[in-house]
Amino acid sequence: MAASIPDDIFFASITEINQKLKAKEFSAVELTKAFCARLEQLGPRYNALALGLRDKAVKAAKDVDGDLKRERYRGPLHGIPFGAKDLLAYAKHPTTWGAKPYAGQVFDYDATVLKRLIKGGAILTGKLAMVELAGGPSYRYASASLTGPGLNPWDPTHWSGGSSSGSGIAVAAGLVTYALGSETSGSILTPAAFCGVTGLRPTYGLVSRHGAMALSWTLDKIGPLCRSAEDCGLVLHEIAGADAEDPATAGKSFYYAPQFARDLKEVKVGFAPVDFAEWADPAARPDFAKAIETVRSLGVQLVETKLPEFPYGPVIGTIISSEASSIFEPLIQSGNVDQLADQKQIAGLKAGLEIPAKDYLKAMRIRSLMQEGLRTLLDDIDVLLAPSRLAPAPKITQPLDRPSSDRPTPKERGLTALIPAGNLAGLPALSLPCGFADGMPIAIQLVGRPFSENLLLTLGKFFQEKTDWHKRRPALSEPRA
Amino acid sequence: MSRQPETRNQKPETKLTRRALVAGLSTSAALLAQAPSVPLPSNPDEELKAVKDAIQQTSQQLAKFDLPMSTEPAVHFRA
Repeated sequence: MAASIPDDIFFASITEINQKLKAKEFSAVELTKAFCARLEQLGPRYNALALGLRDKAVKAAKDVDGDLKRERYRGPLHGIPFGAKDLLAYAKHPTTWGAKPYAGQVFDYDATVLKRLIKGGAILTGKLAMVELAGGPSYRYASASLTGPGLNPWDPTHWSGGSSSGSGIAVAAGLVTYALGSETSGSILTPAAFCGVTGLRPTYGLVSRHGAMALSWTLDKIGPLCRSAEDCGLVLHEIAGADAEDPATAGKSFYYAPQFARDLKEVKVGFAPVDFAEWADPAARPDFAKAIETVRSLGVQLVETKLPEFPYGPVIGTIISSEASSIFEPLIQSGNVDQLADQKQIAGLKAGLEIPAKDYLKAMRIRSLMQEGLRTLLDDIDVLLAPSRLAPAPKITQPLDRPSSDRPTPKERGLTALIPAGNLAGLPALSLPCGFADGMPIAIQLVGRPFSENLLLTLGKFFQEKTDWHKRRPALSEPRA
Repeated sequence: MSRQPETRNQKPETKLTRRALVAGLSTSAALLAQAPSVPLPSNPDEELKAVKDAIQQTSQQLAKFDLPMSTEPAVHFRA
């Protein structure tokens, strides 16, 4: 590690580092070299690093130092080191999608989100590990990755969550200041919750996916994993907006503006007590209960609610399987699909080619009604509040498609299907660390109307002004000699 | 999206707004979403069979969900 960079900097917010760069407490090159060394040293220990980018990062940092010397500031991300999930194309460097069949894949262009961040002066220090093919239709084990299972910095015998595993790990362990991930159904919220960092899933269409691996055209979103809600706002500000290269972009921009937040007394937050009191892991319930009270103390109106009844699981499963198998048909037909690490993923991709059109269309027609149902629910309620995940991270050897406990299933569903429901309806979500269960992080999620990111981020900012869960750091194991 | 005109075969009293339809959907949908519990497959052939069986069960669950003819899929094509 570079001696001139104090340890606290590895866990500092974007704004804090930006101020220190401007104050010339250290140079962008010193900062970048220190982060690169840490990422190269600790990243492999947690199976978080796909590709280090030290040389390009240091070169970019020299340019930043030149800018700072001339007092040219390109924005809050100027000079800040970040990492990107390895499903984003970065020209002339390997982009593996976390999967052995694509280990040698190189693109000749940059993903739009990377172009935007780099234009804003951000420093890309590494590509981060991920679950192979972002999870494909499904997978059984945490080991479903070219780089091995994502190991949780809070306890490496536990999983990091996926599919943006390296992104969650790298932020939690202070290997980058923030990271980009992607979500089709839970791939930002899950690693954010399990690793104790803040994750934002933007509204479908707010952020361009050009240059990102496609898993499901109608569900894929790209978003940040950061130290705080405020940092998520700063990153989203930079990456959001229309892109002719991605026909799904909605043509909307995003301006992070917490100063224009509504009076929280006017904000109605819906939650289902059964989620926290019966569905949640018993060890997580005390801190979940405190989180509800903290949200209440913000002055919002808390009301009880539940999701409209729909077969969220079968619908999202059918859509992802159908779209993923179509996307990866060449991989399946070539036989190279058998090189994947997870047998369930291999079988799921093969079998997905046989899903009849009538089932895909039926799922998409039910999805129309689901969107309407959620729109109706969110006519009266501004934000939905639920656990991000009902339990902390499982052990890395545990099958992910089997229940982790034999507790009886509660009668009411509450908001427990909020991850598939929110993704099917394209709604934004923010995951906020809210405590610990058995020594592992837990989190709540806030879900709002399409393009209501500013409200979610403002609530998140106020929640984090009253709590310090997002500032907790894992005691990392010592690097190898 | 529901841009289709009502068909001649529809009775006037069956005309529902999408909002009313959503509000009145059966709670049995909750049961449809529950995954069955089966032992872990031990080889690739068993795995493929298990996935195909699951897809078949999902198909049956989707088939049980009644939809009005006018409900269009949640996809958009822009010329």
